[in-house]
Amino acid sequence: MEAKIKSKVFEQFSKASKTLLNPVLRNWKDQGGKIVGYFCSTVPEEVITAAGLVPFRMRATGSTSTEESDAYYSSINCSFPRHCFNLALIGEFKFLDGVICVNSCDHVRRIYDNWKRFVPGIPFIEVMSLPRKTEAAQVAWYRDEINLLKGKLEKHFGVKISNETLRKAIKLHNETRRLQKKLYELRKQEEPPITGAETLAVMVAGTAMPKGQYNEMLRELLNELRGKSGPGGHRARIMLVGGILDDPEYIKVIEDQGGLVVTDSLCFGTRIMWVEVDESLTDPVEALARYYVSERPSCPRFYGEHDNRAKYVIDMCREFKCDGVIGERLMFCDSWLVEHYMLGQDLKAAGIPMLKLDREYITGAVGQLRTRVQAFLETMGR
Amino acid sequence: MLVGGCDVGSATGKAVVMKDGGIISWEIIPSTTKPEVTARTVMNKALEKAGLSSITDLDYIVGTGYGRLKVPFANENISEITCHAKGAQWLLPTVRTVVDIGGQDCKVMSLGENGKVLEFVMNDRCAAGTGRFFEAMARVLDCGLQGLSELSLQGRNPATISSQCSVFAESEVITLVNEGMDLADIVAGLHASIASRLNSMVRKIGLVEDVVLTGGCAKNDGLAKALEDKLGVAVKKLPLDPQIAGAIGAALIAAERVSKRPVKAVPGKEV
Repeated sequence: MEAKIKSKVFEQFSKASKTLLNPVLRNWKDQGGKIVGYFCSTVPEEVITAAGLVPFRMRATGSTSTEESDAYYSSINCSFPRHCFNLALIGEFKFLDGVICVNSCDHVRRIYDNWKRFVPGIPFIEVMSLPRKTEAAQVAWYRDEINLLKGKLEKHFGVKISNETLRKAIKLHNETRRLQKKLYELRKQEEPPITGAETLAVMVAGTAMPKGQYNEMLRELLNELRGKSGPGGHRARIMLVGGILDDPEYIKVIEDQGGLVVTDSLCFGTRIMWVEVDESLTDPVEALARYYVSERPSCPRFYGEHDNRAKYVIDMCREFKCDGVIGERLMFCDSWLVEHYMLGQDLKAAGIPMLKLDREYITGAVGQLRTRVQAFLETMGR
Repeated sequence: MLVGGCDVGSATGKAVVMKDGGIISWEIIPSTTKPEVTARTVMNKALEKAGLSSITDLDYIVGTGYGRLKVPFANENISEITCHAKGAQWLLPTVRTVVDIGGQDCKVMSLGENGKVLEFVMNDRCAAGTGRFFEAMARVLDCGLQGLSELSLQGRNPATISSQCSVFAESEVITLVNEGMDLADIVAGLHASIASRLNSMVRKIGLVEDVVLTGGCAKNDGLAKALEDKLGVAVKKLPLDPQIAGAIGAALIAAERVSKRPVKAVPGKEV
């Protein structure tokens, strides 16, 4: 089951999702533009854009080995930092002019420790301290963190980030969010014109090129897809819920079994765009702090928010007419440790079946994945 | 109505031929490196036993198991999870929990009254608690699979085996052997450690009786006993070879496709 969008602009998105330095980004670099990598979607991209830099969400696309990096990690670290740091060690991130890390989880935080100490030559490396709760005190904390980051970016890159440029960046990023949401709206159709795997490619591309250019391209794609419908023929509509997933191939395995992914709670999905940053506040830093800590759909690294997250998933399932939920989690991911179990209970009470999957960062063991997904669809009588 | 079920697993290939709701023949062979060959060989053998000359005598065939996509003559493929549940429930209608231990994985399924799978869990990319694990231990202890089962039942003071990983468990076993521990106690300990792993899988989806074991490892009485001890309930025996439960399920689904309605349970009926 493959919609196989025939579109030049989609090809560019697809290519961007399969590479690190895609042609659009390379072009930016060739023209003297600077790129700053950031780990985790809780780092405020808008501040990077406001500094005249292009934010690049860190991922280990194309990694085939953790041979170099394994020595730096223990046996309970997940495969994401292993692959990411391996690429850093073999020089695949040399196109970056800086890296911003965050204590989104301990595994990712350790990338900072290792990178700073063992990968010479990165011109700018910082770590943000992200709070664990979502109340006013934590918003104030993150507001301070964002201001600190702002100052460091200004100093290192010799730029001034005014409230005005920040507001402009917020507007631009909100525009991205609105366009992406429109793309998701199309997936509410009975026979969506775009598959889940294809959508992920579009979403990943959005974290790897200048937002202005991306918005133009996405507008073009939306024009192409509007009024169209896909081939249909799927056995069930699925919502995908989990942590870092940037590989469209993983979703393709699910979709090849007939489970069409129509929406998600992913940090390369709705969690980064379903809600917008408040443009009406006079202090844009305050607006960003509120957004990243308490307003956007949270991930399980935040304490005390499980009920809201479960409600988000259930509401989303109803809105997109999902037959079931697939929960994915990287092996050894501590943030998602208990979340899927609790979510499974909540979904059961709501009458929505759920399949829980552990995975490795680089898609493999496809046979086992296929069996689980096929059996899941069969249990739904599909 | 003649139908077939073909279960191409990682360790063995199984085929079942059914006629009008009863099993007329079955066969089990070791898997080859070519799933198509395993499927064809085992199916031909089952057909021969049934006195049938050609695969075209069958009205419908369902393939299942790891090689299900490579069963060249199957009309359809269904996951082994659905098939094992279906087969087990047909063999024992009161079953609500199926623990299937195959060559390379183990699964636990909870069933509704109609044999429909309500929920399932599978082990993850690890040989612990699978046929491969027992094969490896039988090799280390040089006792064969049957011997493993027998020794396990003789153990009086089961050893504590902390490693769930078959590779680490192997070194742990070797250490115990060299410390001079009684073989039966080591083997009983191994079975207890696997049973406790299976127990936690069962707890994930909730324990409801009756419980049965399917798959090749279900023939290991030592394991059944160890699992009973951990679960605290009886593990019921199936009236037919538990290794062919998946192939039976596949054949039953094939029969449903032909008749368009569920096949009534005729447990263990053989012509």
